[in-house]
Amino acid sequence: MRWLQLLAASLLPLTALAAKKPSGDRFNDFRTKSLSTGNLKLDDTVYTQLTKAPRDYAVAILLTALETRFGCTLCREFQPEWDLLSKSWIKGDKSGKSRLVFGTLDFVDGKNTFQSLMLQTAPVLLYFHPTIGPSAKIDAQPVRFDFTAGPQSAEQIHAWISRQVPADAPKPPVVRPINYVKIVSVTTAVLGLVTFFAVTAPYVVPILQNRNLWAAFSLIAILLFTSGHMFNHIRKVPYVAGDGKGGISYFAGGFSNQFGLESQIVAAIYGILAFATISLALKAPRIADARAQQFAVFLWSGVLLCMYSFLLSVFRTKNGGYQFWLPPF
Amino acid sequence: MAATEGEQFLKQVSSRNTRGLLRVIILVLIAGAAVSSRLFSVIRFESIIHEFDPWFNFRATKYLVQNGFYNFWDWFDDRTWHPLGRVTGGTLYPGLMVTSGVIYHILRFLTLPVDIRNICVLLAPGFSGLTALATYLLTSEMVTSPSAGLLAAAFMGITPGYISRSVAGSYDNEAIAIFLLVFTFFLWIKAVKNGSMFWGALTALFYGYMVSAWGGYVFITNLLPLHAFVLICMGRYSPRLYVSYTSWYALGTLASMQIPFVGFLPIRSSEHMSALGVFGLLQLVAFVEHVRAQLPSKQFQTLLRALVLIIFVVALGGLVLLTVSGIIAPWTGRFYSLWDTGYAKIHIPIIASVSEHQPTAWPAFFFDLSMMIWLFPAGVYMCFRRLTDEQVFIVIYSVLASYFAGVMVRLMLTLTPIVCVASAMAFSQILDTYLDARSPKADAKENGTSDPAKVAAAVVLPDGLRSTRQPLVGIYSYASKLTVIGASAVYLMLFVLHCTWVTSNAYSSPSVVLASRLPDGSQHIIDDYREAYYWLRQNTPDNAKIMSWWDYGYQIGGMADRPTLVDNNTWNNTHIATVGKAMSSREEVSYPIMRQHEVDYVLVVFGGLLGYSGDDINKFLWMVRIAEGIWPDEVKERNFFTPRGEYRVDDEATPTMKNSLMYKMSYYNYNSLFPAGQAQDRVRGSRLPAQGPELSTIEEAFTSENWIIRIYKVKEPDNFGRDLQSATAFDQGRKKKRATKRKGARVLRVE
Repeated sequence: MRWLQLLAASLLPLTALAAKKPSGDRFNDFRTKSLSTGNLKLDDTVYTQLTKAPRDYAVAILLTALETRFGCTLCREFQPEWDLLSKSWIKGDKSGKSRLVFGTLDFVDGKNTFQSLMLQTAPVLLYFHPTIGPSAKIDAQPVRFDFTAGPQSAEQIHAWISRQVPADAPKPPVVRPINYVKIVSVTTAVLGLVTFFAVTAPYVVPILQNRNLWAAFSLIAILLFTSGHMFNHIRKVPYVAGDGKGGISYFAGGFSNQFGLESQIVAAIYGILAFATISLALKAPRIADARAQQFAVFLWSGVLLCMYSFLLSVFRTKNGGYQFWLPPF
Repeated sequence: MAATEGEQFLKQVSSRNTRGLLRVIILVLIAGAAVSSRLFSVIRFESIIHEFDPWFNFRATKYLVQNGFYNFWDWFDDRTWHPLGRVTGGTLYPGLMVTSGVIYHILRFLTLPVDIRNICVLLAPGFSGLTALATYLLTSEMVTSPSAGLLAAAFMGITPGYISRSVAGSYDNEAIAIFLLVFTFFLWIKAVKNGSMFWGALTALFYGYMVSAWGGYVFITNLLPLHAFVLICMGRYSPRLYVSYTSWYALGTLASMQIPFVGFLPIRSSEHMSALGVFGLLQLVAFVEHVRAQLPSKQFQTLLRALVLIIFVVALGGLVLLTVSGIIAPWTGRFYSLWDTGYAKIHIPIIASVSEHQPTAWPAFFFDLSMMIWLFPAGVYMCFRRLTDEQVFIVIYSVLASYFAGVMVRLMLTLTPIVCVASAMAFSQILDTYLDARSPKADAKENGTSDPAKVAAAVVLPDGLRSTRQPLVGIYSYASKLTVIGASAVYLMLFVLHCTWVTSNAYSSPSVVLASRLPDGSQHIIDDYREAYYWLRQNTPDNAKIMSWWDYGYQIGGMADRPTLVDNNTWNNTHIATVGKAMSSREEVSYPIMRQHEVDYVLVVFGGLLGYSGDDINKFLWMVRIAEGIWPDEVKERNFFTPRGEYRVDDEATPTMKNSLMYKMSYYNYNSLFPAGQAQDRVRGSRLPAQGPELSTIEEAFTSENWIIRIYKVKEPDNFGRDLQSATAFDQGRKKKRATKRKGARVLRVE
């Protein structure tokens, strides 16, 4: 058996040679290399080699910028999906019938390629049709997929790639690995919670039945929703924005626009106004001392007036034609 | 507020009858105010149906009145969705049309010859008066103070959040649905309070009416079970709840299944499963309660409780299993997008494209509800004081409806009633407290706790709210009373001013007819839509097919009375995408599509001359997106943006944009209005290329006064068999180019 090991060891430098001088069939070389990870990690030289003109196979290359200093969150979000897609494609297409190679070119390794393609943004997905062979296209230019619609899932890209490959080629579906860790952790968490509640029930139940708690909970929910929290959530508005003069502007211009902080300020205004109303309606008539009561009524009426006036003035800045106002503001 | 003062004054002197009469008069006045504040558009313009959907409802009502009920029920409409047609009778909510049809026939019976159009225009204001009444009834069930109900009715009558969907002429399903919604809730509360099968059955009856009127009935279908479920969880199960819920569910489900459009959905779709689940749960709980009354053994009860829990879990699992296996339909996209807010944007662009499906920013809340938006939380808080069964309902409704209104602008409509009820409760609490003419004695401080009832209440309810733990004393000084009452009066006046201003400025435009101000301040009416539609009606054959974006389908059907390819019903996404593709492709691609669909005329809306921003070029990206969803290889949104990612129409517009049919139709001949090279688009604020687009497969047929509507005729194939491009070139005297290699016209892909 010793000679086998020797033979393997002596062959090792040869594999390096093989990488440098591909032995005729480039597709099989690249495919074997990508078997383990699914997609090849490219640099400028490998990129040109892979996409060199007489080519009887197709290439799908993701041009990306993964390092944190480039601040491309989209790239980092999409990378696992891309790995998953290429891996399940390579695994599903064992015989290489689709003649498709996946590659990833990071900006750090392929500055020249990015320059020659005149790319300003990342990520970009390029699909090179074969130039010779039965499914060759006349147009040598790669097909380009821009991530204009935001982050994409592996299935969506799979659909896009499936449209590019010839109709008779196999299109192995994306196989998402079963996340055992998640299943186990969720089960444990649920059981843990059940146990927790069973044990602490005597202490928790009175809290759960506390009316003040539920009142606070409902009021906070109502205040959140009526001050446009869901708008922030769906539109992903900025929290605050600069006003162009070095300061920050708290209120966004325009009627159907708002900042995150703005909606919180408005929620606070509503909260104060509602609290003043409650105090006037429920608390003041329960104050037994006449003078204290008088003071409380004046105080809360004043707060109510000021806050409402402020709210109206804020609303006037949002809606130009609005003309109603109250004294202080 | 005049009402409350009246109440206080009359309490001492007059009998219940006088007070009742006064209340009726006030309610009638409120209804009058509600109706009259919705008539701005009729007075300013004329008695005309508004916007888009109302035109279809109006057309359907006319069909109902002309052809009778049974024909309406079986109506197959071959003049829409050409060439598919639409089973209209089975795919609409007939409640609105039937209501106006009944009113029409009653008036005819009373020998009052009223035009059906006027009934349709005035139906929404009429029902808003009824909504105010229903709000009064609902609020009066919630609190003891009679003034709260009147305040709520007044709020409901004039709040812009409701007016936005019920001005005269907006003949839409919501016009009657909000009345039905509030009234059904009133009946439900009545049923739960009394535990009466009669009220439960009435709830079911009005629920059935609601189902026939509006798709929003699902809100009731889920809110009532949730109320029942929360009551059970709070340990407030009672035979009253059992009787009212089961009678509502059994009869209401049967009633809702009578509508062809709803059919078997109540037992087959996820939206309705919560009602079924709570129905089952109630049976279990009732059974356990029954057994508990018979058998006092403690172990047996534990066993039963476990049994209930197990059955509940098993039933829930079975439900999930049925859903997964496909027997029960999963949530439809529209409802699902309420929970998963990003869903529609990715999967159903047609839902995301509708402006009323956008999330709500806070100014919209204040705009529609004014000061009620901050009275609302206070009112909800007051519900926690006693937290009776019906007040639990207010709390649940408030939280849920706030969420929905935040996710979708149009659902502000379902939030408005409960806001009116809750804020009226808060406001009337203030008024009742501070309008009391009696002042407590100064020595009340010492024996403030002497009122035995109050003390007893405080002892019985130790779990009460923090703010109500002290016994009630009253207001001592007149200065406090005057301050608060004066401020309240100012706020109420401001509220009325706000509502009138909003109604008059924002919600009273028919959008079919536009109004603008001339430099001298006089009003100028822009009537391009009707001009163009009547041109179609008078100058085209009766069965000329009109292609336009789906927004205008109902109007073309209603006003021009011509068949359309797509309309606002949007039931067939592929068909809409076909139109989108025809609009966003080159002429060579669009022409075969239009020929295959027998299109005779194409209609586009163009606002560039007038600065009217709701035109087709601004909606164009949605056409592209929807078309891309079906033909991702042929229509690409990316190609409509410049390399720098801008959407432009001027010199720097992309070739795809410049060659698209929509662009060409919008700007065709537009240069001729301006001196050479000066053509200006006033919506996009950009200067157009000196050389305008040229058309070869269609020709301009009509352009309205302000260029808002442009109609093109699709040319017949050339008599000599040339393609239309070369025929046009020949007509213009240009030499035929040597045949450069060109791909043949693409054909519509049919798979």
